[in-house]
Amino acid sequence: MEAGPGAPGEPPACDLCGQAAVFLDRFSQRHLCGDHVLLDVEDRVRCTIQEYHLIRPGERLAVALSGGKDSTALLHLLSKIVPEMGDVTLTAITVDEGIAGYREATIRVAREMATRFGVEHHLVSFRGISGATLDDMVADGRSHPCSLCGIHRRRALLCAAAGLGATAIATGHNLDDEAQTIVMNCLRGDLPGFTRPPAKDPTGAGIRRIKPLFRVPEKEVALYGMLTGIFHDLPECPYAGTALRSEVRRMIDRLEYLHPGTLERIVRGQEDVASLWGRLGASETSLPLTGGRKDRDS
Amino acid sequence: MKIHLPDGTARTFEGGVARVSDLLLSIRVNPVGVIVSRNGRVVPEDTILGQDDEIRIIQVSHGG
Repeated sequence: MEAGPGAPGEPPACDLCGQAAVFLDRFSQRHLCGDHVLLDVEDRVRCTIQEYHLIRPGERLAVALSGGKDSTALLHLLSKIVPEMGDVTLTAITVDEGIAGYREATIRVAREMATRFGVEHHLVSFRGISGATLDDMVADGRSHPCSLCGIHRRRALLCAAAGLGATAIATGHNLDDEAQTIVMNCLRGDLPGFTRPPAKDPTGAGIRRIKPLFRVPEKEVALYGMLTGIFHDLPECPYAGTALRSEVRRMIDRLEYLHPGTLERIVRGQEDVASLWGRLGASETSLPLTGGRKDRDS
Repeated sequence: MKIHLPDGTARTFEGGVARVSDLLLSIRVNPVGVIVSRNGRVVPEDTILGQDDEIRIIQVSHGG
């Protein structure tokens, strides 16, 4: 028997074309080759944009480009999909938080990727917007870096996007990120956070925040990056390990392994709750909320 | 079988024939969070490995 996909010692065959598979979807038990992984991811992002009306004709869309795998894949995907939508302008914004020994490499990648995809690139810094680097802000040891970083990064992105005349900011949040956030909101008792619609968040500044990758698992985003040659094995943020998110990620990943589809069900379930909450006409001020408790370790 | 781990170190696996997922679980790595290449090509987690294969495990989740 001739050796080939599915033969002993060879990878299983793609269920759609018979080529060597690179990916097994554990929920559907479907094998896909590289070409079909790319098409599948692109289709899902295209459908998400259409289903949730994430992008409006004629607008300037700012992509939050950290230089990591998610935002780089997002820029790649949007640079393919946006021209189909007519008259939408893409701009990339990179925020330099000021993390010594970590951020330099990702900023370099961000510049390279923006050039590669022909997208205008802007760099803003915590020092320029807030007057201090993240390293400076946490030097006293009393502030949690991930919480501070999130607040100041959103502020920097909004300032930059407003200055550029953007009407929406696209971020690279994937399915795993969204599931983790939902579980973290539960753990904190944060009802407003838990009932917020997915895919797009209000920023309070007339600029929408959209998440075109929120239906794509992190592993498939990374695979997309590897298969298109844009994946860079970058250093991990030195502040990442202590965040509550890391613990939640380990817990959900274990559940996803034991019960495939868990990530999707968490996000779909929350989406139903948010929809029901919206139909009930509930607002954050109409109920006697305790507001949950913000952990220091967030 | 030579295995390159996400932390940059390498080790040798002396076990018998194994699927990618079995290998990962034996070294306490959850297949959900990694991509695996065999001899330079990405393979699904149910691929059966051979003793002469060179395996690279790439961590996909980073950040806080």
